[in-house]
Amino acid sequence: MVKALVEPRWLVATGVILIGLLLIPFGAPLFYIYILSVIFVTALLAMSLNLVLGYGGIYQFHHAVFYGVGAYTVALILTRTSLPWWVALLAGPFVAAATGLIIGWFCVRLTKLYFGMLQISLGSLVWIIVYRWYDVTGGDNGIHDIPMPEWLTTFQGAYYFILAVVAVCVGLMFLLIKSPFGATLQAIRDNPQRCEAIGINVRHHKLIAIVIAAFFGGVAGVLFATLERSVFPGLLFWVLSLEILVMCLLGGWFTFAGPLLGAAIVVALRTVASRYTDYWTMVLGIILILLIFFLPEGVMGFIQERAAAKRTAPHPQRVEERSGS
Amino acid sequence: MDPSAVISLLLVGLARAMILFIVSAGLTFVLGVLRVPNVAHGSLYMIGAFVAFTIATAFGQSSAGFWFALILAPLVVAAVALIIERGLLSHLYQREHLMLILFTFGLMLILNDLVKLIWGAEYRSVTPPEILDGAVTLFGFNIPRYSLFLLFVGPLVAVGLWFLSNKTRLGKIARAASVDREMVGVLGINVSWVFAAAFVIGCALAGLGGALVAPTTSISLGMDLTIIIESFLIVIIGGLGNTWGALIGSILFGVSQSLGLLFFPQFAIAFPYAVVVIVLLLRPRGLLRSAW
Amino acid sequence: MLRVENVVKSFDDFTAVNGAQLTVADGALVAVIGPNGAGKTTLFNLIIGLFKPDRGKITFDDKDITGLPPYEICRRGIARAFQIANIFPRLSVFENVQVAVFAQQRQSRNFLQPAHTLARAETNAILESAGLQHKARHIASALSHGDQRILEIAIALGSQPRLLILDEPTAGMSPEETATTMSLVKQLAQTRGITILFCEHDMDIVFSVAQSIMVMRHGQTIIQGTPEQVRQNRQVQEAYLGGADA
Repeated sequence: MVKALVEPRWLVATGVILIGLLLIPFGAPLFYIYILSVIFVTALLAMSLNLVLGYGGIYQFHHAVFYGVGAYTVALILTRTSLPWWVALLAGPFVAAATGLIIGWFCVRLTKLYFGMLQISLGSLVWIIVYRWYDVTGGDNGIHDIPMPEWLTTFQGAYYFILAVVAVCVGLMFLLIKSPFGATLQAIRDNPQRCEAIGINVRHHKLIAIVIAAFFGGVAGVLFATLERSVFPGLLFWVLSLEILVMCLLGGWFTFAGPLLGAAIVVALRTVASRYTDYWTMVLGIILILLIFFLPEGVMGFIQERAAAKRTAPHPQRVEERSGS
Repeated sequence: MDPSAVISLLLVGLARAMILFIVSAGLTFVLGVLRVPNVAHGSLYMIGAFVAFTIATAFGQSSAGFWFALILAPLVVAAVALIIERGLLSHLYQREHLMLILFTFGLMLILNDLVKLIWGAEYRSVTPPEILDGAVTLFGFNIPRYSLFLLFVGPLVAVGLWFLSNKTRLGKIARAASVDREMVGVLGINVSWVFAAAFVIGCALAGLGGALVAPTTSISLGMDLTIIIESFLIVIIGGLGNTWGALIGSILFGVSQSLGLLFFPQFAIAFPYAVVVIVLLLRPRGLLRSAW
Repeated sequence: MLRVENVVKSFDDFTAVNGAQLTVADGALVAVIGPNGAGKTTLFNLIIGLFKPDRGKITFDDKDITGLPPYEICRRGIARAFQIANIFPRLSVFENVQVAVFAQQRQSRNFLQPAHTLARAETNAILESAGLQHKARHIASALSHGDQRILEIAIALGSQPRLLILDEPTAGMSPEETATTMSLVKQLAQTRGITILFCEHDMDIVFSVAQSIMVMRHGQTIIQGTPEQVRQNRQVQEAYLGGADA
């Protein structure tokens, strides 16, 4: 069924890119391998947010909490217990999903701005606990030198592991969007009242979406901990949550690959800009404002609009494409 | 636990709440009239504090310097706000909520780094004027003079805002415009300038808050991040656009933090957030009526 | 099939519905009429669960549905088409109906299969009966106003309702669109056996199509009866003061 699910040329393009990514460690400098790893992790984080933001219309203002919880779970298990590494890595997303369930359960009763603000308050509570519980979480200092298996500590090892996990997750998220669950989620985004009228329990559905998004956010957190081998409270800070929002916006949040692109651009820019200036934050702010004024559909959205404009009369198949992605 | 010490602590918390109120009042004012949730509001507060520092230092950190700073800093912030509104914000009013929030977030990022650029990353401080320095004993409680000052200024601002909103022409137009912008425009009133005025006033309040807080704490780069979250939460629990709601919310915030310091010092800052969560669960639309 | 008994609903100080009664028999075509502000839309909103009545009872198939949430009421077999076209603008016409079919088949939470392979037959059948099959791939927001209203009804059909509630189905339509819509409605009643409850301002339609008419005024039921009975009723004549068209 994959043939009809994805257009052949997209499949080929993805395949080519994947092969390219697999080959990169064989020639590229270590720094580039590291940066690509960071991009993969950030891309997964951004795409997990977009599951609820772009596809669900949910104002998820504090998604970073799930990222941080996933990362801290790994850190705490590996530094405080003697459980094996794979238990820690598996536990991370599930703890994040549980956090998503609790926070989500409180938040789904509200909508839009109120949902976002309640999530920020609840998320900030979690942040405060991590920040202040010095004895357990290391407080402001975070946790460092997390023990990892030998092969994961090399740049290449971490790269392949992260690439594999992210690829699988992206594939799963794609299938999710294309499923009836995904279609219903998008309908909820467009018209929640109508959905109630056709028999959908909107709150339930949103909650499930939030838990799934939290799960994948937790995976990203786990990968972060694996890559950097340290965690710190900033991973749960609301500023990071807004940064992820920006990535989704930059890439185009009504598209599937948009957030991936947005994450890649932001990480790349940040790496480059940080070499020349101390004021990357300002650069990001300027980019964001330029985006809002000139490119509100994001880069992907812009590309899609251009591609659609090039075609003449609405062809049935192409119209389906636009609505499909 | 010494009761008079508790009372002192609560009064100090209340005084701190006054600063929170002044800042939140500005935020909620802008939110009520323009429907813009201004994430950069905290940055303007921080700019107010830093500008106050510069002015106070220019006067040799003297008492006179403090008073000059208190008057001039909000004016400087107001000027900055005017530039932002006329230059950028006014073009975005038609856009959806999320876009406006992200715009102001971008603004916050820029202003944050601008402050770093201009003032550097070190901590600064402002010395309070002589008459407000030190503590005084009232009815057996020990209370800092500056806290008393704040407890006086806070309600003053509240009354001033109420007067502005309800008794002046500008206030009435602003309230009408927030409900029906087109209608007000049809009546021949330049709504655009009303919005500009409202935004400037709201931001000036943030600057005032920053100038007021300057003598009580170290002025540093992270100030904007904490205050903006606190202000937003206060505005939400108070009711969007509701000044009295901001007052109640600020008091709840300040007092619960003081109580937190009493009972659970390590997690004192969690108490206000917990209060917010409880309020939002019981009254998701806020304690008092929202403007929209 | 549906029975509304003495239902009351107030908003702040305004009592929108004040003791309304309605009986809808299985397979019937029932209309609710009344001057503007009579409470017709509020009554419909109460039936489908958007609001909870302050007092009174609503039963469907002899089971109490008062105050149930909208999605639950839909699952019991009541669907509603809204007065203002309440569709999913970013989805295609096909997807609009498909979502409703998914919900009805309890497939909404299925994340294991690709959506475009499921529920095709049912969705296409509905699109055909609504006359929209040629526009299946069009984005809903691009449809004409009249087509959007028909899509409205098509979405409601996706829920396989036994009772279909239409809120002013021909409001703002041209005469041709009105004719198309009403013939669709009649066809649904006759061939699919769906019970129809609707409210309208256009008296020609009401009196030519409805088998039973309920008249509302100031939130109360004046009378419910056959078109003839309603036409003869003195109170109804007073309520409309001789002018029936909106």
